[in-house]
Amino acid sequence: MSGHAPQTIRRPFFTPGTFVLIVFTAVGLSFGLARLFNGLAPITNLDDFYPWGIWIAIDVACGVALAAGGFTTAAIAEIFGGHRFKPLLRPAILTAWLGYFMVAVGLMFDLGRYWNVWRPVFNWQGNSVLFEVGMCVMAYLAVLTVEMSPALIEGLKERIERREWGHKILAKVEKPLNLVYSWVKAILPIFIVAGVVLSCMHQSSLGTLMVIAPTKVSTLWYTPLMPLLFLLSAMMVGFPMVILESIIAHKSFGKEQDLGLIGSLAKYVPYIIGIYAAFKFGDLIVRGNELNFTQHADATVFFAAEIVLGILAPLVLFSLPAVRRSVNWLLTASLLVIGGVVLNRINVYVVGYYPPFAKARYFPAIGELALTIGLACGLMLLYRFFAIHFPIVAGEGKTAAVRAEAPHRHVPVLKPVWTAVFRGTAAAFLLGFVVLYSLVHTRAIEASAEASQIIQLAKAAPRPVLDTAAFTHSARPEAYRNLYVLDSPELNRKTDYYEPVRFTHRTHEVNSDSNCAICHHRYAMGPEDRVGEDLNAMHEGIEVRIQGASCLSCHEDLTEKEFRKCSQCHFESNEPDYPARIGLKGAYHRQCIGCHENQPDQAKAPSDCGSCHHPLVPDHKSLLAFAGRPSPSDVTARCLACHEETGADILKTAHWNWQGPTPSLSGKEHSATIGLRNMIDNYDISLAPNPVLTSAFHIGDLPAGGGADDPAKIDCLVCHDTTGTYKRGIDSQWLDLKTAAEKIGRPSRANCGSCHFYGGGGPGIKNGDLSPAMVRPRPEDDTHMGKVDMRCQDCHAVNKHQIAGLSFNAPVVERRAACVYCHGSAPHGIIGVIGRHIDDHVKAIACETCHIPQFARSQPTQMSVDFSAAGKDGVAPKLQFDRPTYDKRYGTRTWGRDVVPVYRWFDGSRQSYQLGDAIDPSKTVVLNAPLGDKRNPQAKITPFKVHQAVQPYDSGQNILAAVKFENGLWADYDWTKAVAEGMTAVGKSFSGKVGFVKTEMYTSIHHEVSPAKKSLGCADCHAPQNVACARCHANAAGMNQPEHTRRVYPETTGRLDFKALGYEGDPALTGGRFYMDLRRGLPPK
Amino acid sequence: MSVSRRAFLLWTMSAAAAASAKASSRPPQTEEKAPPAGTDHAGCLADTTLCIGCRKCEEACNSRNALPRPDMPFSDKTAFRSARRPTDRAFTVVNEYPGAPSRDLNDRKQTYAKVQCMHCLTPACVSACIVGAMVRAADGAIVYKPEICLGCRYCMVACPFQIPAYEYNEALKPRVRKCEFCSNTAGATGANPACAAACPTEALVFGKRESLLALARDRIQKRPDRYLDHIYGENEVGGTSWLYLTGRPGPEVGLIDVPMSSPAHKTEAIQHGIFRYGIIPVAFYGALGALMWRNQRKEKKESEGNPEGERP
Repeated sequence: MSGHAPQTIRRPFFTPGTFVLIVFTAVGLSFGLARLFNGLAPITNLDDFYPWGIWIAIDVACGVALAAGGFTTAAIAEIFGGHRFKPLLRPAILTAWLGYFMVAVGLMFDLGRYWNVWRPVFNWQGNSVLFEVGMCVMAYLAVLTVEMSPALIEGLKERIERREWGHKILAKVEKPLNLVYSWVKAILPIFIVAGVVLSCMHQSSLGTLMVIAPTKVSTLWYTPLMPLLFLLSAMMVGFPMVILESIIAHKSFGKEQDLGLIGSLAKYVPYIIGIYAAFKFGDLIVRGNELNFTQHADATVFFAAEIVLGILAPLVLFSLPAVRRSVNWLLTASLLVIGGVVLNRINVYVVGYYPPFAKARYFPAIGELALTIGLACGLMLLYRFFAIHFPIVAGEGKTAAVRAEAPHRHVPVLKPVWTAVFRGTAAAFLLGFVVLYSLVHTRAIEASAEASQIIQLAKAAPRPVLDTAAFTHSARPEAYRNLYVLDSPELNRKTDYYEPVRFTHRTHEVNSDSNCAICHHRYAMGPEDRVGEDLNAMHEGIEVRIQGASCLSCHEDLTEKEFRKCSQCHFESNEPDYPARIGLKGAYHRQCIGCHENQPDQAKAPSDCGSCHHPLVPDHKSLLAFAGRPSPSDVTARCLACHEETGADILKTAHWNWQGPTPSLSGKEHSATIGLRNMIDNYDISLAPNPVLTSAFHIGDLPAGGGADDPAKIDCLVCHDTTGTYKRGIDSQWLDLKTAAEKIGRPSRANCGSCHFYGGGGPGIKNGDLSPAMVRPRPEDDTHMGKVDMRCQDCHAVNKHQIAGLSFNAPVVERRAACVYCHGSAPHGIIGVIGRHIDDHVKAIACETCHIPQFARSQPTQMSVDFSAAGKDGVAPKLQFDRPTYDKRYGTRTWGRDVVPVYRWFDGSRQSYQLGDAIDPSKTVVLNAPLGDKRNPQAKITPFKVHQAVQPYDSGQNILAAVKFENGLWADYDWTKAVAEGMTAVGKSFSGKVGFVKTEMYTSIHHEVSPAKKSLGCADCHAPQNVACARCHANAAGMNQPEHTRRVYPETTGRLDFKALGYEGDPALTGGRFYMDLRRGLPPK
Repeated sequence: MSVSRRAFLLWTMSAAAAASAKASSRPPQTEEKAPPAGTDHAGCLADTTLCIGCRKCEEACNSRNALPRPDMPFSDKTAFRSARRPTDRAFTVVNEYPGAPSRDLNDRKQTYAKVQCMHCLTPACVSACIVGAMVRAADGAIVYKPEICLGCRYCMVACPFQIPAYEYNEALKPRVRKCEFCSNTAGATGANPACAAACPTEALVFGKRESLLALARDRIQKRPDRYLDHIYGENEVGGTSWLYLTGRPGPEVGLIDVPMSSPAHKTEAIQHGIFRYGIIPVAFYGALGALMWRNQRKEKKESEGNPEGERP
């Protein structure tokens, strides 16, 4: 016994191998430091799917498992009477001690909040397996320290004897050291048993850890038996670890190997492997049906390796006596067991971990591998340090025995009573720990809701009292039949991100096949009724769906009736008394989206948010900060800082590029380069040579030539200023752009109108139907804008700053706008029987024809200009509609008000004069003729404004001329020079001769929609007797309606020249296009 | 020698017996804690047949929890091109799955399903947490207390639905992030969570879990052609606060198959089986201690008999 007493080793610490270990340790720790400074992401491959990597699988799980040599050797040597194995005990305990120390160190790098590592000591969570692991590991580390302390104190005392470095200080504490030594010796047996118990507890709990993840751990490893298997495999690896250490230590320290000792230890190994294998295979057999070997190929390979190399091979090897007699074979067999257990831990924690939804598999990063290797190397360094300086490894020979006896000389022998006291205290301490610990569990069992008491139920938000007065808004704008505003102050009080939705019955009625019951599914029988009657049930047996007028055909007074609003029944979702009733928001959305999703044309029946709701612009005051007075470009830069994509969007728009696709331009259908830049009109002739005039109408600094790409040059305020103070071209020092930027909002009519109301160079000059009066129009000026205050973009729908609608002479298309988008293609039915005849007109006549009987009703518009008269001084201008008839810069002008349009067939396509096109100067040149005729089914009779001009042309080449006005004509009124400069600016040659030619230009009419009673009556176009009901319906009693005699504009004669339009005469007599309907037949002569 | 071997076997067997006692002490159904789903237990019902994929819930969640704004605006439907999971920057996400949401909605080409913490009645994360940083509030919300969290991420391993996310880029104070049922803002526990309040079609309905179950059953009964007769979350992992109604099998829309009892039951049964009143550890300790005492005494006698310490 004494011949194998542990002794210090008289060898230098540093060897070449040591330096290699130091390098690896340093590299690993540097990665660890990087992790502490930068977080886990840069160093590891961990993610939300794989929260645990090899730092847990190897550093912690394998580290704990491989330290099992400590408790197994302690058990056999101290408890089960295998006293001859005592020489192996100290190296095993040292390995365990250092192993657990390294587990703790490694954990500090893996824990996200490592500074909270002490928390489990105070925040006990008895349900947590990890808590059990953590507490046991902490406790066992303490126990191991106690078990190690005799060796440590002996080593220190030996330093004193040998007078080695530090012996002077140590000599001063020798007495307390001795005292401690004797105490430790007294309580050691208690702690040895405690170590074994603690080890069994947490070795198994490491297996329980993964029992909580049944959906993630592969079926090859997942079993509720995992704790037992982990415990058994830890026991299995204990002795092979001791054998391995012993062999390596003896080789490394140049000592002779006592093969008999480790050989006899190895005899136990096959039995333990056998027990483990029995449970492992038993478990696999019992779970046979669950096992899925084909699910994950890599898992199956690792599983097979673990079973064959880690269990079966060492089982055979350790059973062979020849193996137990050979150092090399023992080494091999031990390595197989160790490798098998390491593989098992890695398999359970990493390889067999298949989290749902993971996109990629986890593989450790360099940093993870480096730290793991570094910690292992550090462990070996520490082992070497302790083995050299402290009596750990068993020596041989008498010298060692004598030395081992030496420390005992100074140790005071405790009286038996003191021994009992110390042991009692230690036992009581342990017992107290156990009692406290089980108390935690008992508490956790009995009050698992304990956690729920920590956070008390806060008061539920009070249910808002339903204020019916809040519903006083009439969803329907006064006296406007078809437009409804879907809004709810009740809903807005919670979240209000959007303007109310405008809803028209007309389009929806048509699309719902005139079935009112789709939306009005129940009818409330009184103001208090919140359930109502089912509308379909009420009409059982009656065909509710009648084409055209539907409900109105029976309920003639329906339009005067007051309807129950949706909000009478629906207000909040999931009401306690009737949870099945959905709330108001859900009711609206499900009704709308439910149908919209089924509509084939998503452009007309969208189901995304922005197409029905206009977002409310939040107050930007808190979002913006400017230093000093911002310039328009400062404002733009600030806008683009948040609205990053908007700048790029705008650079693609026609408003920015002034050119784009023109599919409706005859002969240029596939062009994308036509636009305001390169066209010629007869108002201000051409834009390109006059950049100053022109840029005032652009939404930013006009790009020099085609498509600039600098978003910083966009002028956001010109469209989005709501203060009305911003004007382009005014020095910004006079403007309060800070306030303008803070109050930024959706464009109003004034914003759009700041350009579009001034087309042609002045208010209302070009567009007969648009003028500055449209900022605040009277109801009779325009029913949309004047009566229900619609904004431009309500019709000219916007998507990514691309705006619906197109100019007539520069027809760049981004999206389309049309009356039928809201009103439907049969909008007159609600008026009654005669409505069907009016609906028929929609097939041949544009809506504008009847509903805009006159244009320029709000302000005069220019009807003609004679440029050849420009440049005269001293002409006394006359006034026509308060506008001068002569302007030196433009020549003679005429003006019009309440102008009756010119009517032409128009199928949507048109011609347009392009610079360089040849003209015939002997005739009037039509710059942009609408195309279409009566035979074209797409064409409709459409109203136009026609503007006459006398404008310059290059009489040498017979092409229309571009003119430079600013710093050109207006400087000296030299036409030749002005045209020469103008033609140069547009890149055309000039013959040097200027002539003047008559031109005509068409502009389509869409705005100034008159109220219904001011739109055309039958007799405005037809002779009343031609459209009298009795002509066709002679036999139907009561059919004669006074409507056919209605004539709203008796002063206008010959509004429609039927012969010029291609008819033989009045189509009511001769047959128009809608008599093509086979059901009708021809009208009686 | 023979004695010690027998003793060793005995010891191994007793250890094995103790360990297997833990394993076999999985409790019968009666011992399982009844989920504390009282009348005040909050829940949310998500109806995947009504979800239109507008992502308003994501937006509302983002602003209520003051999360960083994502690179793409919430109106951008290209987000659906990839299957997303909740992250530390988004506690809830909506995913798009090809195919109609139910048999009677043939016109629709996509199904949308929202993902967030299910707020289990017997949550594995709460059971797993080493210090109790994951807490089940009285109304059923699973809330997180970062101040005592260690950052061990065991909750992420434990969650059967793969929900908790972690701030891996945070060096010093990383947090586990997940939906907390909007209960972390002051006094809002039990109030409408932001996502449900924002849902335009009421595909998400917040309320008492009991009444939501009744509502769900009512819908299934009234529309048997639309809904599968199954409320996902009623029994999954022992019941969850969030309930899902679907018109197609759950796994097709991201509602994975999970066990019908909480995984936490198993681990807690094992743990409490061993440590109930400390009986097993103390008994184990006592047995080992007695064995040690006997063997030590024997050795003492032997060494007294053989003072030279010679052994065969």
